Amino acid sequence: MSIKLEKVVQKFYDGLEEGKFLGRKCPKCGAVEFPPVYACNTCGSLETEWVEVSGKGVMKSIVLPAALSSKPEYKQMGKFAYGEIELEEGACFNGVVKGINKKKRKEIMENGKLPVPVHAEIFQRDGYKTVVFALDEE
Amino acid sequence: MNKTTLGKYNRSVSIIGVGCTPFMYTVDNPETDGLTEGEMFGYAALKAMEDAGVSAQDVDFYFHGQASPLNGSNYLTPNIQIGNWFGMKGKGSIHHSEACCTGYLAIEQAVNAVASGKYNCVLTGCVEFGDSVPFPNDNIETPKHPYKREKMTMDKFLATTSWLYDRTYSRSLMAPIELIYDDAAEDYVRTRGISAENMDDALNWMAINNRRNAEKNPLAIERTSFDDIAKEKGFDSAIDYLRSPYNPKMGDFLRMEGVERKCDGAAACIVCATDMIPEIAKNLNHKPIEVLGVGSAACEASTPHFEIRATEEAVRQAYEVTGVKPEELDLFFANDFIITSHLISAEIAGYLPYGEGWKYICDGRTAYDGDKPINTNGGRTSFGHAHAASGLADMYEACMQMRGECGERQVKKLPKTAMLRGYGGAQNVAAVLIRTID
Repeated sequence: MSIKLEKVVQKFYDGLEEGKFLGRKCPKCGAVEFPPVYACNTCGSLETEWVEVSGKGVMKSIVLPAALSSKPEYKQMGKFAYGEIELEEGACFNGVVKGINKKKRKEIMENGKLPVPVHAEIFQRDGYKTVVFALDEE
Repeated sequence: MNKTTLGKYNRSVSIIGVGCTPFMYTVDNPETDGLTEGEMFGYAALKAMEDAGVSAQDVDFYFHGQASPLNGSNYLTPNIQIGNWFGMKGKGSIHHSEACCTGYLAIEQAVNAVASGKYNCVLTGCVEFGDSVPFPNDNIETPKHPYKREKMTMDKFLATTSWLYDRTYSRSLMAPIELIYDDAAEDYVRTRGISAENMDDALNWMAINNRRNAEKNPLAIERTSFDDIAKEKGFDSAIDYLRSPYNPKMGDFLRMEGVERKCDGAAACIVCATDMIPEIAKNLNHKPIEVLGVGSAACEASTPHFEIRATEEAVRQAYEVTGVKPEELDLFFANDFIITSHLISAEIAGYLPYGEGWKYICDGRTAYDGDKPINTNGGRTSFGHAHAASGLADMYEACMQMRGECGERQVKKLPKTAMLRGYGGAQNVAAVLIRTID
């Protein structure tokens, strides 16, 4: 057991500066926490280990931004949507996916393409980089 | 997702008194402009004591809930600031905040304290100034006027609402803080296979049903009928009006009338060991309402479908520990500051059938005079949302309905069993099951 008082958050953001997507993997059950935290929320293990994730995954739901759910800063992303992301390593979380507007959503939903493949990209916000996703086909 | 198995309470606990202020925009009315935290909380607390037939000396401890005391009151320890207003000077107390879920978990905390045997009778109350802030409203640090307040601007409200979300990841990822408005509606449309137009009608009819309930509730903040508003604007019906640009889309699905009316208010309950009622509340003149169980779950906003997943778990816990079945529910409340909550939580609780709830709503069956009443006080869109206080205001309404004391908006069949689904704080969820003791 090696529980450490550790700067997990800073390392995650430092990783983005280097173009890496860092998560934490449970040595007991193999579940991946992304974004990274100390413990495993799948099996309750008290420790996890650093792992670089591929950034490949799927988008499982699509919500379009609107008056209440957008901010002027987001315009730099072009067309985008919010939704559930599942990484190929198994982590699930809410994220942004670029390349989706009303027409694109209709096409995805009507053709039964959900979940749709996505990949992670790095996006510059005010003073730090964060993770967004983009449709693989775009 | 993690699951919890609840143990049964060590002894039966009941709600024996309730109190609630009108939900209001205090600064807009000269009669209420200048009301303070102690006056609002104190009124609700004293009305609850009066309703229970107890004095302040009969009450052992009090719980104080306020979602945002620093922003709304310039307080850090708001239980202490108001402790002298309702006769409980020197008694122990604690403050808690789970934002919009505070009032529901206020019941959880009070019941646990009595069920454990530590206290026999406690007060649990909440107050919120959701529409105004201490004057001057320049920043949260400067000394404020003793009682003057001014309107909280929407910009300030939205800025401080971001405090609900994890600073390390959720604000950075953007989606967690933006999905609150439409995630549940998207999920409902996709998983139940209905159209966006069906969903739009369901959202509008929830607003209509909430308003029909509020029209007959003197404590509600918005009581003007949508039929009257529609007529004034030249529409044939309320639904035509709500489908129009007068009710603009604010989200992917959500329209303006599906969003809370943030406001000011307070509410309180007296919670007592059931077997001690004859000794403590000798003058009680109505039936106690037993708290059968409280399920609770919390999903931080980066969790996909946070409201749905947490509601499923909280409801599961409540049914499992109590043995109550969904078909035994006579009345349902959902904290619907985003009105979609009203539909999805009623289906998760089994109060409305899976995939059919939207039809019940569009047929008006969930209004006070329907067979499946929901939010008979008017809900967050018409009763109002004084954030922490809303849960206890719902408990006030539930108890009054179960006592048959709601007058014009009394539901058809006297309810015996009810569930209140609390939600808030990005995101806590509670499922509170209550039943009248005969």
